[in-house]
Amino acid sequence: MAYAYLFKYIIIGDTGVGKSCLLLQFTDKRFQPVHDLTIGVEFGARMITIDGKQIKLQIWDTAGQESFRSITRSYYRGAAGALLVYDITRRDTFNHLTTWLEDARQHSNSNMVIMLIGNKSDLESRREVKKEEGEAFAREHGLIFMETSAKTASNVEEAFINTAKEIYEKIQEGVFDINNEANGIKIGPQHAATNSTLAGGQGGQQAGGGCC
Amino acid sequence: MFSRVRSAVASLVGGFMAGSSSSGERASGADLPMKFPYERPVFLGLSQDEVECSADHAARPILILKETKRLPWATGYAEVINAGKSAVNEDQACCEFMVVKKRPTGSFTPCKPSKRRSSLPNGEGHNLSESSMENAELVFHYWALFDGHAGSGAAIMASRLLQQHIVEQLQEIVDILQNPALLPPTVMGDDLDHTSTPCMPRALTRASSLRNSPCTAAPRFFTEKKIQHESLVIGALENAFKYMDAQIERERVVYNITGGCTALVVVFFLGKLYVANAGDSRAIIIKNGEIIPMSAEFTPESERQRLQFLGYMQPHLLGGEFTHLEFPRRVQRKEVGKKMLYRDFTMSGWAYKTIEDEDLRFPLIYGEGKKARVLATIGVTRGLGDHDLKVHDSNIYIKPFLSCFPEVRIYNLIQHEHGTDDVLVMGTDGLWDVLSNEEVTEYVTSFLANCNPDDLNRYTMAAQDVVMRARGTLRDRGWRITDDRLGSGDDISVYIIPLMYGNRQS
Ligand SMILES: Nc1nc2c(ncn2[C@@H]2O[C@H](COP(=O)(O)OP(=O)(O)OP(=O)(O)O)[C@@H](O)[C@H]2O)c(=O)[nH]1
Ligand SMILES: [Mg+2]
Repeated sequence: MAYAYLFKYIIIGDTGVGKSCLLLQFTDKRFQPVHDLTIGVEFGARMITIDGKQIKLQIWDTAGQESFRSITRSYYRGAAGALLVYDITRRDTFNHLTTWLEDARQHSNSNMVIMLIGNKSDLESRREVKKEEGEAFAREHGLIFMETSAKTASNVEEAFINTAKEIYEKIQEGVFDINNEANGIKIGPQHAATNSTLAGGQGGQQAGGGCC
Repeated sequence: MFSRVRSAVASLVGGFMAGSSSSGERASGADLPMKFPYERPVFLGLSQDEVECSADHAARPILILKETKRLPWATGYAEVINAGKSAVNEDQACCEFMVVKKRPTGSFTPCKPSKRRSSLPNGEGHNLSESSMENAELVFHYWALFDGHAGSGAAIMASRLLQQHIVEQLQEIVDILQNPALLPPTVMGDDLDHTSTPCMPRALTRASSLRNSPCTAAPRFFTEKKIQHESLVIGALENAFKYMDAQIERERVVYNITGGCTALVVVFFLGKLYVANAGDSRAIIIKNGEIIPMSAEFTPESERQRLQFLGYMQPHLLGGEFTHLEFPRRVQRKEVGKKMLYRDFTMSGWAYKTIEDEDLRFPLIYGEGKKARVLATIGVTRGLGDHDLKVHDSNIYIKPFLSCFPEVRIYNLIQHEHGTDDVLVMGTDGLWDVLSNEEVTEYVTSFLANCNPDDLNRYTMAAQDVVMRARGTLRDRGWRITDDRLGSGDDISVYIIPLMYGNRQS
């Protein structure tokens, strides 16, 4: 499908906070009650519209477990947006945010937009982290913030779309160099007729051509 | 594998990879329809979006088997795309469980006289009571890796079809293989009553053979070579490679099938692992931490003598531009008449010869190690496809120097006990270029030792771990691995196959 821009996102945060569920809710509008530990990286994609423009989100869902940390770190590169997720019912996942943030800042490009997400807002009775704490953390570190529920889908759309809006604004402001793919942004085929690699079906014809 | 067909000498090579008309009278093929569209291995079950994500040359995501998908024997698999040398990942993989049924009686096979079939019901009835196998049906497990170069077409086609060719070859010999007690007959159909009476006393067998023999006096039994069953399987694998290559050659006229590929195939059949290798991928078995190499690479250096001999016997294949002799470096005009070190196909050592004009030609094999090339073009000497590959800007074909025949090695799996950490590791050269057998063994062994033995994902996680260690991480000066060594910028694909399931199955 044709798009004006493609944004690469990465979802990070401790294991079990609901990263894969957020992605699934956003792409498939489904909730997955059992925890399928992510053991590497998984991908999702969806088209959204911002300012009348079609934008394709390419989302990388990473493994939160400590033992996969070095692999996860290697995927920050070239992401335009990051969803940094904690679980409002588990304070330790909130406490680990600083480490995640350091990791992200160190391994990604400096313009990456980071959305802080307090997930599982449906579990109000088990809440361990106040909403205000999340807001304060976000303010302190210059992040956008939202509480979501991958279960009820509350704020899930908004989390992904608001991140995209922020990236889009940065493009308008000229902060992002959109011709540098290391920024996690690609221009769609109709906007850059010469850029054939974005057309989707990367056929064997192209393979035969090589690229260097 | 793109780099493997890049020239050691820039002036000689370049255009052929684009399938450009500069290198041939035949149409480039780019206008023809695709035989199979580009994709990642079928068992990964990736959507088009996922395939797109995976082709990120900057982040190089390691693709693994999804938690919901399982391969036979809980086989682990991981792969990663190259660092930018080709637009797509030119490695391919296939893993399947195959059934070999005896060919239906309707199909005509010239070497099987019809007389044979009339005796079948007995034989089949016998087999049924003897073993669990049903009506002349055998099964095998199949794992394969293909490393494409100069395009992904041949690798994709081979990854879809080679197993079918193996089935076809084995179909011919199902009856024979089902009778392990009896050596394969020299002439099919001749000693046929044997298939129905494998336990027949030797004297009787001989008598019946004598009776059927057209020349009863000749003591042919005593001079005949005894061919083992496993040799028949090896022959079937070898011929499957040959027919696969022939199919690519035939169909490239009607389809766009680009490039060529190496092929590394593992077949578990009747209790044995057969490892067939044509190219520079590699398989090793790790058993109790010990390494058993199951393949050898075929490169310009390892096959130098075969190639030189061919160039010597058929000099026209060198187009008057290459010499089959090897020199330590290129000969210069001013050195004509002097004595210089050289070696021919008859030598592994070196000697001096007086340099003649002919020796000024470019050497058939040139370069060292990973940079060694045949005809200044290709760095791997066995595999499938490459029928249109020519030396740049010339009419010299590379294919005659390439062999599609695999070397087959056997591991008698069921004769050994295997623990949960005993595995077979298969990898394309992207892995082995940067990690030694010992390093891979150490990584795999220590990773598995730290896993929950009941976790069915452990072999996939181990595969992901070694791919990660071979890829490394992107630093200021490129991809780096342990000790700041250069990581592999090539496509990397790895299977880790636990062997204990082979014991359980038998
Ligand atoms: N009640 C509730 N449960 C949730 C929500 N989001 C996720 N869960 C549950 O939390 C568990 C973990 O969710 P996942 O999405 O698999 O966690 P993850 O962050 O991907 O974990 P890793 O893959 O290990 O990094 C699952 O059992 C989900 O059902 C939510 O919004 N509300
Ligand atoms: Mg997950």
